[in-house]
Amino acid sequence: MAALLPKVGMRQPKLRLSRAAIAAFLGLGVLLHLLPFYYIVSTSLKPGAEVVSTPPTFIPSAITLDAWKLVLQIGDNAEIVQLVQEPFWVYFVNSAFITLLAVGLGLPVTALAAYANSKLQSGRSARLSFLFFIGTMMVPFVVTLVPMYLLTLNFPFTLPDAPTIPGTDSEFPTLRLWDTPWAVILPAIFVPFNFLLFKGFFDTIPDSVINAARVDGGSELNIFRRIVMPMAVPVFAVTAYMSFGSVWDNFLWQLVTLQSPDKVTMSVATYQLIDRLSTKGTTGGGAAAQAEGMSDLLNSGLTWNGMMVLAILQSIPIFIAFLVCREYLLRGIKIRGLK
Amino acid sequence: MTTDTAVADATAAEDGAQPPATPSRSRRRRRQLWIFLAPAVLLNLVWGWYPLATSFVLSFTDARLRGDVTFTGFESYERMINDPLVAQAFRVSIIFAVLSIVLTFVVPILVAILLMEMPRRTMRWMMLLWFLPLSSVGTAILWRYVYNTDYGLLQSIATGLGFDRQPFLNSSDQVLFWLVIPGLVLYGPGLIYLATLQSVPTSYYEAAEIEGAGFWRKIWTISLPRMRPVILMMLMFAVIGNLQQFEWPMLMTDGGPGGASRTAVMYVYDILNQLRYADATALSILLFALIMLVVAVMRFAIREDPDAPPRRSLRELVTRKGDH
Repeated sequence: MAALLPKVGMRQPKLRLSRAAIAAFLGLGVLLHLLPFYYIVSTSLKPGAEVVSTPPTFIPSAITLDAWKLVLQIGDNAEIVQLVQEPFWVYFVNSAFITLLAVGLGLPVTALAAYANSKLQSGRSARLSFLFFIGTMMVPFVVTLVPMYLLTLNFPFTLPDAPTIPGTDSEFPTLRLWDTPWAVILPAIFVPFNFLLFKGFFDTIPDSVINAARVDGGSELNIFRRIVMPMAVPVFAVTAYMSFGSVWDNFLWQLVTLQSPDKVTMSVATYQLIDRLSTKGTTGGGAAAQAEGMSDLLNSGLTWNGMMVLAILQSIPIFIAFLVCREYLLRGIKIRGLK
Repeated sequence: MTTDTAVADATAAEDGAQPPATPSRSRRRRRQLWIFLAPAVLLNLVWGWYPLATSFVLSFTDARLRGDVTFTGFESYERMINDPLVAQAFRVSIIFAVLSIVLTFVVPILVAILLMEMPRRTMRWMMLLWFLPLSSVGTAILWRYVYNTDYGLLQSIATGLGFDRQPFLNSSDQVLFWLVIPGLVLYGPGLIYLATLQSVPTSYYEAAEIEGAGFWRKIWTISLPRMRPVILMMLMFAVIGNLQQFEWPMLMTDGGPGGASRTAVMYVYDILNQLRYADATALSILLFALIMLVVAVMRFAIREDPDAPPRRSLRELVTRKGDH
């Protein structure tokens, strides 16, 4: 607990006023922050006509679940099927599968590497492998975007086509990851920033604790499992929360790698739908095409209230991850000496 | 922590002394080390270093659509530099990043500092509410609706306050400003600042108190210097992230109107969609160069030492204003 305001004389009117002013400022910020939450939920409960009426209503005149039903039964609706081929739960399950696998594999892989770097290596080799792991962190994602895309097309090669085997006419065999969930999962497993968080935490564990366990004859894996992991719950929670959010809410990479309607994730499907729904900027298709897409959607009854349902579905898992991990979030962040 | 220290005390005798290292044992240790490291090393090689290295190689070739790839030197770079849309996209990215950092970077720091002033229980509740996350894709959808020029919430507020009808995202002059605004109510990074502040011992503030330091003086000489390394790191991430903005312009404006919100990464994506791989790589490396330049300038301009005294003139200015 910081003490910017003096503790002595806490009851002085001037100090009380300062404290109240801080509380009011924070309260106002909370209100501003919660406003979008309220507006999303209330809009999703409005009837379709009210959503596109002027002036917009802040409190729904009538509460209906029409938009929710429409979105959840999207596969049954002939008009919408032309725009999004699968029911939305398919996209939701795709997203969930990718995210859970990426986080579930990512945490142990990253944590073990960070632990090995922090406690099993020392001196020069430790510094070198630290640089090896962290070196890719500051590299902007866009630099590797194209080679990674080509890599998912022809797995071991970052070329548009697999090269031919010298002396023959046949091409090297390649593995196509593109348009499969693995194209999203594999690159998301090892995250340098998570490595940094884990390493920062493991560095604070005294070596003597580990050495004592070694004297008692524990194998390194058992030491990690029985002694280090229970101490590291907060940092596991932080990394789980952060990587969950970043995979679930990722957009660019999933847009690049996933294409077939049954493989697409929530964020991509939502983009495809919203692309049709509202009038685009001038870079998009012609005005006629927009009007057509618009009327298709309105015929089907899907409008902004349905989009808000999608926004809620997209937010709920992140929301839950936050609530689950919140107790540990502050304790788990120990970033030290980053240079 | 109490159990940790108990264990540490119990083993104080062996402290530093490694367990007897017989050859078989150290070999087993080395094997275990590699088992721990192998998956991460492999993944970071394949999905980190390998694409990074080939990215530079690809940018000097004519890789596109299909067929053989041959080296063509700086041709793709020349093509990209002479493309007027590239200049526009870079300008958009830079303006977006500057606007976004100026408008949204300071708020979470301030919030974290002020949250620490609340009684413990109030802080827990406020923290929960302040940092409640909303999906960033979801946020973009919501704001696209709020910005709608016909039936959006902001339009009705604007006309209600007596302004003319506003074009919002349809104005090529204002579009970037409106795209940045949703970030004002996302406070996620505040969590990291809050965690940093919690590790500052209360005694620092008490000592400052005895020395007669006021509210602002304590923030300036204790809180901010303690947060400095983390603030710098977050600033670095903000610069890197904002110069690569893609999601919000894509979801809210699709680059419009007339490319006024088409960022550099969106243009990379467009070129990639035309299967011009070499050009896309060359453009992304140009963006990489810009980002590295900005980061290097920042590192040069900002002193790293958290314990370095703040500049005299500023300190006096703040003290005079803040002392009760």
